[in-house]
Amino acid sequence: MTDPSRWHPAALSQDLVPATVIPARCGPHEIALWRSETGALRAWQDRCPHRGMRLSHGFVRGEMLSCIYHGWRYDGEAVCRKIPAHPALEPPSSITVPRFRVAEAGGVIWIASDPGNSAPPEMAEGLRPLRSVPVDRSAAGLRDALGHDVPARLEDGLCVLVQEIDETRSVLHALTSGNVEPKIASRRLESLRRRFEKEPAA
Amino acid sequence: MILHDWVLSPNCYKVRLMAALSGQDLTLRAVNLYPEREHLSDEYLALNPAGTLPILEDGDLVLGESAAILAWLGEGWLGQGKAEAARVQAWLSFAERLNATAGRARNIDMLGVPGSLSEAQKGGRACLRELELALSDRRMEGGTFLVGDGPTIADIACFPHVMLAPDGGLTLAPYPSIRLWTRAVRALPGFVEMPGIHRLHELSPEPEMETELR
Amino acid sequence: MKDQWYPVAMLSELGRDPVETILMDAPVRVWRDADGTACAATPEGRKLPVTEAYHHLWTSPGAPDRPLFDIPEARQPDRRFVPCGRVRVACSPLRAVENFLDIAHFPFVHTDILGAEPHTEVARYKAEVREDDDEVWATKVEFYQPQAAKSASGGVTTQYMYRVPAPTSSVLYKTSPPRPGEWDVIAIFVQPVTETRCDVWPWMALFDETTPQADLVAFQQMIFVQDRSILENQVPALLPLDPGLETPTRADMTSIAYRRWLKSHGYTYGAQLVAA
Ligand SMILES: N[C@@H](CCC(=O)N[C@@H](CS)C(=O)NCC(=O)O)C(=O)O
Ligand code: FES
Ligand SMILES: [Fe+2]
Repeated sequence: MTDPSRWHPAALSQDLVPATVIPARCGPHEIALWRSETGALRAWQDRCPHRGMRLSHGFVRGEMLSCIYHGWRYDGEAVCRKIPAHPALEPPSSITVPRFRVAEAGGVIWIASDPGNSAPPEMAEGLRPLRSVPVDRSAAGLRDALGHDVPARLEDGLCVLVQEIDETRSVLHALTSGNVEPKIASRRLESLRRRFEKEPAA
Repeated sequence: MILHDWVLSPNCYKVRLMAALSGQDLTLRAVNLYPEREHLSDEYLALNPAGTLPILEDGDLVLGESAAILAWLGEGWLGQGKAEAARVQAWLSFAERLNATAGRARNIDMLGVPGSLSEAQKGGRACLRELELALSDRRMEGGTFLVGDGPTIADIACFPHVMLAPDGGLTLAPYPSIRLWTRAVRALPGFVEMPGIHRLHELSPEPEMETELR
Repeated sequence: MKDQWYPVAMLSELGRDPVETILMDAPVRVWRDADGTACAATPEGRKLPVTEAYHHLWTSPGAPDRPLFDIPEARQPDRRFVPCGRVRVACSPLRAVENFLDIAHFPFVHTDILGAEPHTEVARYKAEVREDDDEVWATKVEFYQPQAAKSASGGVTTQYMYRVPAPTSSVLYKTSPPRPGEWDVIAIFVQPVTETRCDVWPWMALFDETTPQADLVAFQQMIFVQDRSILENQVPALLPLDPGLETPTRADMTSIAYRRWLKSHGYTYGAQLVAA
């Protein structure tokens, strides 16, 4: 059902600052999306191989991500480099976290499982990221209402990318074009959401 | 100053956090709110007829509402000028709504207090959406905290219930501006955690990778 | 697992009016009769076996063929007994027990209390299944702790022993700060509500003549609630009993023994057998 080559919009770049990890999704997959101190971006399965803790609860020191449960530390290639319970041990290189492909363009972070050589959808120049909002409505329902352009262009300079969460929930990643005032665009986005959540799902 | 305290209470934590951030000493008196319901004993009801914690005693002054205690402890954290002070008040009222929704969901889900979890969660989610919009506005203005240039008691009053929302089954994943704001609060000098709120381990250095000798 | 004893209430909260709780997916009512007898029954009126022990009421959806496990320290008169109430957790009851057996998480989850970087090393210890008692034991466990107990002042290397006498209960013994030659006893009694939800009843029997009861309760509530967000975020929710999905190391020998013991007895409520 899910196409592994498909790129999913996951977050706006401005919402993932250096040295942080956040929970994200790539279609049905739960992702730990993180940025190192120098800005390198990674998307991994949100599950520590040790005892299954979500890595999105972890912490970033320098160029590595640590799990919050027992502090296992993974380098940028998702290979375990340190097991604090055994400080003298060189962890076997077989301990790795499954990786996803991640790309960043025009202020949007995209994730795919197995995109081959494909790149995320090209977007028009000059769009400014606004904010991401969750909507209680299926992605299919939203795309039917908004059209299938990427991003969908609404009136007054508001553009949105639709991200599917599950059958009933989505996220709208909003951008603006032209010189619309961000706080006004933000409120328009809120009214749009109210409207979608009121309408019965198609 | 004596704080009558319960370690799992978000409202008591507001007071511990405010005191820690502003460098004031508290003498903590643990109250067995659960399982013994000690806050409803004659002794405690005499001190605070509302039957809630926190209670702060400072000499003759006895205060039994977290917002009032924050006002008492929070000199320099009350907002600058009339407009900011008024906006701080709005957030203190908002914090009461958080207590009645997200806080209630946590009491039901974690401690088995009777009540409708889905109702409490629905209210909590509405509060989180409202906060996310406000904090996103603040970012557009170049601000980090709820009111003005620096942290105020508005942030301290809202932070605990927001961070603990997942304890009541409310996810924080869809709220990027809330996430950045909670990280800013957790990074304040003197910050202290409470159970359910982990510290930012990224703020401590990575220890040398060497074997410890026993 | 149907024939095991499980905690369902604190005796101090048991009253004349029946209170409903859930044990292994089925509702159970608990109360105390006019003549003082503690009772448990299904909503249809089927009486369930009961035992009163360690400040809790224990029952079983099946027919236990053994009495509830013994904690001999519960009979020592100079100990302080500290029931801590209940914390509900959205996790497998078996994951709750396994976390209790784990020390390697102390520096990251109970920071500056039960552990702190850089003191993260777990020294070699002994883990075994004691065939005679049919219990899992870990001994010679030690760990550096900044504040081992409410009564502790300053960091110490604490000695531990762990014991799993029943699939969802565990008892630990740790150095008592006021009486270094003796062991404090801390237990978690886990009530399996469903396979992915449980009520945890912490209980302690300590040597401590000075700390107020409310502080002792608060200390244990603090520790346990620090674990809660971990337990609710382990994936998969069910405890994997087959190797392959997770990666244990030498520090996890107690968990390995516990999982083997669960599997050998078919204690699989809250577990998953095939590596998904
Ligand atoms: N408006 C009060 C509310 C405090 C409150 O709800 N306290 C809880 C503990 S977090 C309490 O004392 N609950 C006792 C009870 O519900 O019986 C404040 O902010 O201080
Ligand atoms: S589960 Fe991640 S380090 Fe143990
Ligand atoms: Fe723990």
